[in-house]
Amino acid sequence: MTITPAPPSAPPTRSTPLDLARVVLTGAVIGSSLAALVVGTVLGHVSLLVGGLVLPIAHGLLVLAAGAPERARRRAIVPCTTLARIEGLHATGGETSDVPVRFDLTVAPDGRPAYRVESTQSVNLVDLADYEPGGIVVVQYPPHQPWAVKLVKRPTPEWEDRAASARINSAPGPALTAKPPPDGSVGGYLTLLALLLGAAAVVFAFRADLFGPEGPADRPPSAAGPADPGTSSTTIVSAASGTVALGPGQSLFDGGRLRLAVDSLTQGDGRNRQALTVVAQDRLLTVVFTPAGSQAPGFDLDALPYPRIPALVREARTTLGVRSPQTWQLTAESLSGALTLRVGVAGADGAASLEANGHGEIVRRVPAR
Amino acid sequence: MGWHAYLALWCVVLGAVAVVGYGRSLAGVTRGQRAVRVMGRIERVTEPRHGSSGREGIAVVVTFRDPATGQEFTVTNDGECGDRISTAWTGREVGIRYPPGRPHAYQFTTDPDAGRSGLGRPNFAVFLIYVGLVVVASIDWGWPWALIGFGVPWTLLSATYLPRAVRDTRLRIEGLASGDPVPGRVIAVLKDVTVDEDSGTATRHTPVVAFTTHDGTAVTAYRTTGLSDPARSRGRELTIHYRPDDPAVFTTDLAAEHRSRVGEIAFAVGSLLVGVAAAVAGGVLIAG
Repeated sequence: MTITPAPPSAPPTRSTPLDLARVVLTGAVIGSSLAALVVGTVLGHVSLLVGGLVLPIAHGLLVLAAGAPERARRRAIVPCTTLARIEGLHATGGETSDVPVRFDLTVAPDGRPAYRVESTQSVNLVDLADYEPGGIVVVQYPPHQPWAVKLVKRPTPEWEDRAASARINSAPGPALTAKPPPDGSVGGYLTLLALLLGAAAVVFAFRADLFGPEGPADRPPSAAGPADPGTSSTTIVSAASGTVALGPGQSLFDGGRLRLAVDSLTQGDGRNRQALTVVAQDRLLTVVFTPAGSQAPGFDLDALPYPRIPALVREARTTLGVRSPQTWQLTAESLSGALTLRVGVAGADGAASLEANGHGEIVRRVPAR
Repeated sequence: MGWHAYLALWCVVLGAVAVVGYGRSLAGVTRGQRAVRVMGRIERVTEPRHGSSGREGIAVVVTFRDPATGQEFTVTNDGECGDRISTAWTGREVGIRYPPGRPHAYQFTTDPDAGRSGLGRPNFAVFLIYVGLVVVASIDWGWPWALIGFGVPWTLLSATYLPRAVRDTRLRIEGLASGDPVPGRVIAVLKDVTVDEDSGTATRHTPVVAFTTHDGTAVTAYRTTGLSDPARSRGRELTIHYRPDDPAVFTTDLAAEHRSRVGEIAFAVGSLLVGVAAAVAGGVLIAG
């Protein structure tokens, strides 16, 4: 029985659904991580920044891990070595000592029909004279990719001898090429689409922070992430009072920031920690200290219920009937004896306030009228 | 999530990498540990063509035997196949490494033992954890802790490196000076032109030196340093000092070797002093 070897097949021209899923996922990851980096930077959202960095790394590792079995399988394949006849060649560019040369070859595998292939190889200018039409060269290719032909520039002595004595007739075309599949542009469009959708998804998820009201008085206390202690602020302290003005993008009602600001006014030996009044807005804190030697009824700044304050402000903004609060402030004083916190809110619907005791428990609500 | 939490995450992830890496190393299943390492023999050396590229190394034909099957393979250094062979002579042994069962995926290596322990990755993970901890200490407790964090390990590494550097350079000089010199010649100058968008075109010239040792070994080697005006050095006659037990160690200027020995030792000492100074300065600042 004679087995007629099949001629080598051309490179695959269609992408599999898995390939398309991979390009879509890659596009989505690129788009969402880039958007996360930009949105995270704009909002000062550290978690989003970290997510934008970690996501592509995790995706890359996932792709690496998923492709490992296939790579291992391909690495285990012993490449085919054979002879080829140069039908034609021309240099396609070159500013360096190695120039890309496009070879038209007739590859003649042992025991199989010869076939034509086009392949671009990098050849040193000095070695270019070794390659001329009609010459015989040694080539290698993976058995499953006969179009991926690579020139062996330094063949072993055995293959050198075979090349020196070989005669190969030209095979008819058309030549196989290692060009990308024609529907590669579909993959490109899908990647672009997924990239845009990924970016849009991140922007959509944070639309409220990005496109919401910008005034500091309108920002809900919990809108921003934890304040960075290293960001800019201005502190002015005298014996009678102290003021802290935070830079843009910060809020006194981010976790622990109010306490830090109060502490910054009272640091240092002998500094007064007794206050008559504390007034806090989103980025502005004013403390009126109890004058030295005064019998005025001040309170200890450590006695303020710091953890409860953001919740009190949120409560005042959302439950007292002022739908679009334009301004609000927190006042703490003990002029009447016990420490009292008052949160006032004002907007188009009028003004409202609530009062809380020294433990941060609400004792009175005055809704909008 | 506070930044301390990010550090904790950093340490946990890298710690997991390190634990997995050490576990794989103990089990002997890392790629480096599983690799087959054999010595091949150079059977033929092709004289480099003047003006050609030096990137792929001196063209050689090498034979090696796969210990698993006993089969002998004849290969060349065509394309990307590991470390560049820059010194060759017929009969020279070269290291070859390949994954088990895949001798066709051979890689030449100048250090056959490199990566044998498989500890590179977990050690690097531990190093990154250490860097993270030093950064935290510097932010939380003050920047002098960065000096301590850098200075102490740097000093230890330098203290380990210094005696070895002194011994190696001494042995190298002694070896080079132990035998009579032989005549040599620059037989070709290799040229590699690269184009960089920022710096424009760059040309690197690599002279190729040929000499024959007293026992008749014909050595061909790249000489990247020690020759003035390398671009026009073709045909230049040289005096070669080489180590009789390893002609790959050779020089065209023994006096320059002495100078470089002083330089290497000075570098090692300077490196040690930098580490000590950093550690001491950090300690004084913290104590003060």
